[in-house]
Amino acid sequence: MKRILRRSWLIFIVALAFLGGMCFLVVETVLGASDWVDQPYNGHISGSGGLIQAGKITDRNGEVLAESVDGERVYNKDAGIRKSLLHVVGDDSLNISTAVQSQFRSQLTGYSFIWGLDMPKSFRHGNDMELTVDASTCKTAYNALKNYDSGACVIYNYDTGEIICSVSIRTYDPNSPPKITEDNEDKYEGVYLDNVLSSTYTPGSIFKIVTAAAAIENIPDIWSRTWVCNGKEDIGGGDVTCVDAHGTVDIKQAFGDSCNIVFAELAVELGEEKMNAMAKKLGINASFSVSGVKTKKGNYNVKEANKNQLAWSGVGQYNDAVNPMQMAVICGAIAKGGTPVNPYIISGNSGSLLTDLGLSKTGSSLKQMISSSTAQSLGELMRYAVVNDYGESMFGGLTVCAKTGTGETLTGSDTDKNDGWMIGYCTDSDCPLAFACVVRGSSEYGYSTAGQVAKAAMKEAAKSLKK
Amino acid sequence: MALIMDIAVVALRMLLPIYTVVIVYQIFAAMRRRRRPERPLVLLQDLDTGVKIPVLFWENSIGRSRGSDIAVDDPAVSRNHCVLLRRKEGWFITDTGSKTGTFLNGKRIRRRTQVKIDDNISIGNKEFAFKRGEEFHEELQSSWFFSKVSGKPAIQPYKIMILVSLFHIFMGVEACFCDGAKDFDPAFLCAALLAVEWIFFFVSTVILKRVAFELEALCLFFTGIGVMLLARQELRTAYVQLIAAAAGMIVFCIIIKFIENPDRIAQWRIIIMVVAVLFLAVNLVFGRVTNGSANWVHIGPVTVQPSEFVKIAFIFVGASTLDRLLTKQNLLEFIIFSAICVGALALMGDFGTALIFFGTFLLISFTRSGDFKTVVLALASAVFAGFIILNIKPYVLRRFQGWRHVWEYTQDSRGYQQARVLTYIASGGLFGVGIGNGVLKYVAASESDLVFGLMSEEMGFITAVTVAVAIATLFIYARSVTTRSRSTFYSISACCAAGLLVIQMSLNVFGATDILPLTGVTFPFISAGGSSIISCWGLLAFIKAADERTYSKK
Repeated sequence: MKRILRRSWLIFIVALAFLGGMCFLVVETVLGASDWVDQPYNGHISGSGGLIQAGKITDRNGEVLAESVDGERVYNKDAGIRKSLLHVVGDDSLNISTAVQSQFRSQLTGYSFIWGLDMPKSFRHGNDMELTVDASTCKTAYNALKNYDSGACVIYNYDTGEIICSVSIRTYDPNSPPKITEDNEDKYEGVYLDNVLSSTYTPGSIFKIVTAAAAIENIPDIWSRTWVCNGKEDIGGGDVTCVDAHGTVDIKQAFGDSCNIVFAELAVELGEEKMNAMAKKLGINASFSVSGVKTKKGNYNVKEANKNQLAWSGVGQYNDAVNPMQMAVICGAIAKGGTPVNPYIISGNSGSLLTDLGLSKTGSSLKQMISSSTAQSLGELMRYAVVNDYGESMFGGLTVCAKTGTGETLTGSDTDKNDGWMIGYCTDSDCPLAFACVVRGSSEYGYSTAGQVAKAAMKEAAKSLKK
Repeated sequence: MALIMDIAVVALRMLLPIYTVVIVYQIFAAMRRRRRPERPLVLLQDLDTGVKIPVLFWENSIGRSRGSDIAVDDPAVSRNHCVLLRRKEGWFITDTGSKTGTFLNGKRIRRRTQVKIDDNISIGNKEFAFKRGEEFHEELQSSWFFSKVSGKPAIQPYKIMILVSLFHIFMGVEACFCDGAKDFDPAFLCAALLAVEWIFFFVSTVILKRVAFELEALCLFFTGIGVMLLARQELRTAYVQLIAAAAGMIVFCIIIKFIENPDRIAQWRIIIMVVAVLFLAVNLVFGRVTNGSANWVHIGPVTVQPSEFVKIAFIFVGASTLDRLLTKQNLLEFIIFSAICVGALALMGDFGTALIFFGTFLLISFTRSGDFKTVVLALASAVFAGFIILNIKPYVLRRFQGWRHVWEYTQDSRGYQQARVLTYIASGGLFGVGIGNGVLKYVAASESDLVFGLMSEEMGFITAVTVAVAIATLFIYARSVTTRSRSTFYSISACCAAGLLVIQMSLNVFGATDILPLTGVTFPFISAGGSSIISCWGLLAFIKAADERTYSKK
């Protein structure tokens, strides 16, 4: 009997294992509950009634972007603001999964881990949310963007991480969301995607920032070298072409004139390993989180590339792809001496357990990307590009360092689908903004497409900061 | 007015989880109180030295081995020499294949022989006098589970019953007034439930004159939760569940009666084994495939899951009295039976139940033999078999793909159910959204495989966790109660039945919440399923029988 009793403690291990698992479940639930409820299928919050009790969403100046009045969700009166902030705010549905109203619907409707959802009406109170965006800047960016097929414009404060402007095209009016059918699905292709966070584009010449960074860190005599550009050169058995024959140029001129041949040669000289290393340091292939949304990973992979493809990859062609938010963060890193601040979009939010406990991370630093001396050198190159090529006065009184780019998405004659870029940052101490603008579907160069969006949005953003 | 209603609704919602904790605490507190003081039953007095050896158990091994209940340090004594055991008719002694024999009053015994007070028992060179227990005066230590044995009465069984009934009434009230409710159907269901509960209580205490009712009260509490959860999901199923539960209670009483004489069960072992194997064979031949596994048999309008009943047979066959255990140490018979069971279930594609049987097999075989080698060997072969299964049945692998990644598969079978369980557990909060207000009930299998999620959503996370922990604690109770069992048959069967329930519940809870792969087994006592609830009550009989007092009349 004694023996049997002693052995039966083995079963105690089973009971202990169960209790261990239960503790694990409790911890997982406490930590995960607020994410678990925000699912499009959740019957307690989805459907038209889901937002009846939801709180107000305001921009940085208290402008109401969405609120619930008498059982209905009401969006901002201005159609431009509504359309420009669709992907940030969201609509009644949960179709735009990265929008605040989808991602944080449970918090907006007053979810808490203790009380759950579905409290009787008298006890429900929605939580309000304040966003970091400036509505008028977004509207300005939207107006500049609205005629393109696809595009994105993001501006954020590289000191604090606040996102001032985040606009994605295509968009629609949340007051009258489109019924997407087989007939009109082409017109609304990708409309639920927030291109700022969830898309990638071909970088074109803005990728020269990456190549330049690798060169600055790895080639000691980079500043004293000169190259000769004849507008065309055979590298690795294929031509690399330039817009112009730039003649004899140093690195600054090459960057300012956006000379493909110089940067293609640099990419080949640096080789696959060093190029990959720098792309990795700058987070091109990685993802980071912006107020709970993971950015889409870009692509820089030259493992399989031949010499010619490696050359093209150095000027942002080949199979390169980058995410707009990531590019803005790289600009932020250059402005901040190599270590960027993580952007965020929600400045005030009661309801999430982590926020209640003061644990949610906003405006924290990301990993250091480049040394401060590299950052300074890149800044000089980007400043040179603005002063000598785009024109000092382009951004009004703002001191801006920037780079444009035109990513060719289709090789050959069809240039209609170019991805035009402008990314950069302002060095003025009262306007610490970094930006990335991209538009798709124009035959023109990045300067005249995305550049104009950036110009308009940056001027407006600066105004809102100085308010 | 609306505000007052809302306050009442919220107050009731908050009350239930707290009430759950109170009931579970009360029942376990009552279980801990009820116990007679620790005294030896009889004692053996060494005639050479005069030392009095207390005899504590109903079945005691005597031998040279240090693990024996009565260790005799004498080279002429075999390691397991004989067994001294108590039965209704008195005390008996059986020789368990000793080399030098066991002698009672100078005569060598051949079979089980009755021992009377002041008889002489000789083994090896030692001679003992068989004396009454009262002649032992030293203090004996009690099990830690039982609080100090005091004269204070525990909470009266009828009071526990009132607590439990009131809880079910509250559930009924919540269900009657849930969102969009237009009828009072749950009230009738609740009345029927209470009738079943109190009839059972009456039969147990008045007709059968059983002293304790805590264990049954706890399981009535769980059964009632299961029934009332169905009130606003599918009323018909709720009544079926209630009828099945009543049948389960009858099975509970029959099994207790059946195993009253642990020696008689030995004669039934072969028959039970054959019947169990036949059950599984019928299942294999006539089983219909539902949700990927063919473990259902349709008999007219009734569907049964034979594997559920085989669980009871499994415990029967696995347990054994001490003298048999020491004379027939061979596990082979049981190993073959287990292999057939697990194999048949695997063939049906019911891997969850196969896993339960396998886990229980490990528990039983280790408790019987104490042999770690057997356990390790069995585990190794199980891992091997697992690999084979994954190769033959690709859909099992598909389940594994979703495991720990359900958020990537919220729209297909790999993660659909688990993701919804987690979402609705979170939506319920600590206190739940109220009976009938849940959304998980629209998901397939929410009343059985996913019932932990349903309970958590509607009654709150506190209730769900408390109920689960209470079932796990059932093992601690079983283990503590078996120190006084009338036979090792009861000790082994009670501990292993409790172990089986804990394994089954773990697979259910952790499968639904994506901590383990989802295998589709039921939550003991709460999941809807007639066969399942009958088998749970049947298994409970083993735990009840392990309590010394079960067979003593008032």
